[in-house]
Amino acid sequence: MRNGHEIARLIEPGRVHRSVYTDPELFELEMERIFGRAWLFVGHESQVPHAGDYITTELGRQPVILVRHRDGIINVLLNRCTHRGAKVVNERKGSAARLTCCYHGWSFDTDGRLAAVPVPEGCAADFDQAAFGLARAPRVGEYRGFVFASLAAKGSSFEDHIGPMKRNIDDLVDRAPDGALALDAGVHRYAYNGNWKLQVENVLDSYHVPFGHASTINKQGVQFARREGDRQGATVVEAEKTQTAAAWRERKSYIAGNGHGWTSNTSLDEGKRSSPAFDEYKRVLAEKVGAERAQQILTPRLHNSLIYPNVSIMGLNIHVRVIKPVAVDRTEVTIYPIRLLGAPPAMNFGNVRLLNVTHSASSFVQTDDLESFVRAQKGLRSCATDWVDISRGLGEEEADREVNATRALATHEMVVRAQYKAWLGYMREAA
Amino acid sequence: MTGATSRAPAPPAAVGIDRAAFETFLIQEARLLDERRFREWMELFAEDGTYWVPAMPDQASPFDQASLFYDDRELMKTRVERLEHPRIHVQTPPSRTAHLVGNVLLEQADEAKGEYVVGSTVIMVEYRDEAQRLFAGRQRHRLRRDGASLRIVEKRVDLINCDCAFEAIAVPI
Repeated sequence: MRNGHEIARLIEPGRVHRSVYTDPELFELEMERIFGRAWLFVGHESQVPHAGDYITTELGRQPVILVRHRDGIINVLLNRCTHRGAKVVNERKGSAARLTCCYHGWSFDTDGRLAAVPVPEGCAADFDQAAFGLARAPRVGEYRGFVFASLAAKGSSFEDHIGPMKRNIDDLVDRAPDGALALDAGVHRYAYNGNWKLQVENVLDSYHVPFGHASTINKQGVQFARREGDRQGATVVEAEKTQTAAAWRERKSYIAGNGHGWTSNTSLDEGKRSSPAFDEYKRVLAEKVGAERAQQILTPRLHNSLIYPNVSIMGLNIHVRVIKPVAVDRTEVTIYPIRLLGAPPAMNFGNVRLLNVTHSASSFVQTDDLESFVRAQKGLRSCATDWVDISRGLGEEEADREVNATRALATHEMVVRAQYKAWLGYMREAA
Repeated sequence: MTGATSRAPAPPAAVGIDRAAFETFLIQEARLLDERRFREWMELFAEDGTYWVPAMPDQASPFDQASLFYDDRELMKTRVERLEHPRIHVQTPPSRTAHLVGNVLLEQADEAKGEYVVGSTVIMVEYRDEAQRLFAGRQRHRLRRDGASLRIVEKRVDLINCDCAFEAIAVPI
């Protein structure tokens, strides 16, 4: 196993060693040192609205249950029977008064307490039932319905971790006329044979769009309409010069510590955005928050936000994306469409419908990204060079005091360098 | 199989109507997909036609839940234009597919209106870039007579693994 010093040598100012994508030993260490202690997005309170409602997911590779107890508290429990280790809840979501293991029938209350053991007279005389509750994530934090957990008892506080990204969560939640979201419109799930960081790096990568997504851009250099009420998408390429369009080149990306970051909005003609569903939504929102605030909310500043290491929030085709490492060369991603509470159903349908074609496994956009991830993983088998270049714009970062962040052109690679700074922060120190 | 299409009523309405024409239509549709004649495939759909592949078993509606595909003709056109684009990376190299359509039943028929519902089972084997995979499910075509031919008003495919984590799906099923 590498020591902290050796791990630090894998990350240089403008490049990272290919083994961070390919070495199974480093992957094991990531599961322990990053996914074993970072604040990870688990789920949203709207997924468990009533007592007994649960979803199951994974934090890193560890199966967990997000479940609401009778007292209204949302618990994050390890999905592993305290008897012989079987996964207790096998459904992706559901509702239950008790969580019962299929193997020997141990049943747990929705706060994790061991409620009943069949044939109790067989237990040892000093069997302490209270000590056999489901293990729980040592720390849980919540902001506007977004539930995070850390599998480590110690570490930076939730407030320190989420603080710089609250504004990005607000940007999404404030779009709901009722000021709340529901992640209840199903899921998109996709997988690829590549490292998890390829997806994490990609969500804030504006450099790839004109090339990686060339097949979504028409002869006029314009992408297809991706939002309810848009007649066309963003101008990405200058058609005659087949160059990346000026508006695209001027987009910005931002970092705010902890590996987090975001990209500024795609240049779209907000004035022309109109459809019966969008106009009605706009009217309802203005009625709730006032015309001026509604206008502010509907002038998006954010394209995509990454809350490192496992969740991104997209402002363009609104959704929450959760990244789950499976193996060094295998990753699964879950994408939740978002229902804006208080918005007309037709507006929410517009969002769901367009997310089908932007981010599903069968979409126009995500599929080409998946191809790039798979090819990166294949290419990185090459020993021709050990280094992956992430140097674009190195040294050109500048402070943005208005948003208390560091700014660069979005076609630069500052955000990736920031992710590796955070990566190294977790990785160099033993738990 | 618990997909909504499995709960089709027994097909009394179709007694006496020759099933063969509908089966032939489905075979021809499958062939257009296998030969990557996506534009001609799209033209099988009525102007108000939709192509729906739900992302969950028994999905009641495409309007409030995510779907793998829910294309009207406009989205279908964008999809087809992309499939024809020289720089569609996820089709470099292109998929090769073989569709097999069977268990064809004429579930409903309204001869007066010229409207029919045809249920079938579909298996698609896809090979691309050194990997082969299998899709299977029940499909239901809502068809409308248009002169001498038929047009698809709605095609719904319920894959048995519709809620799994898929690797990229670039071609329609």
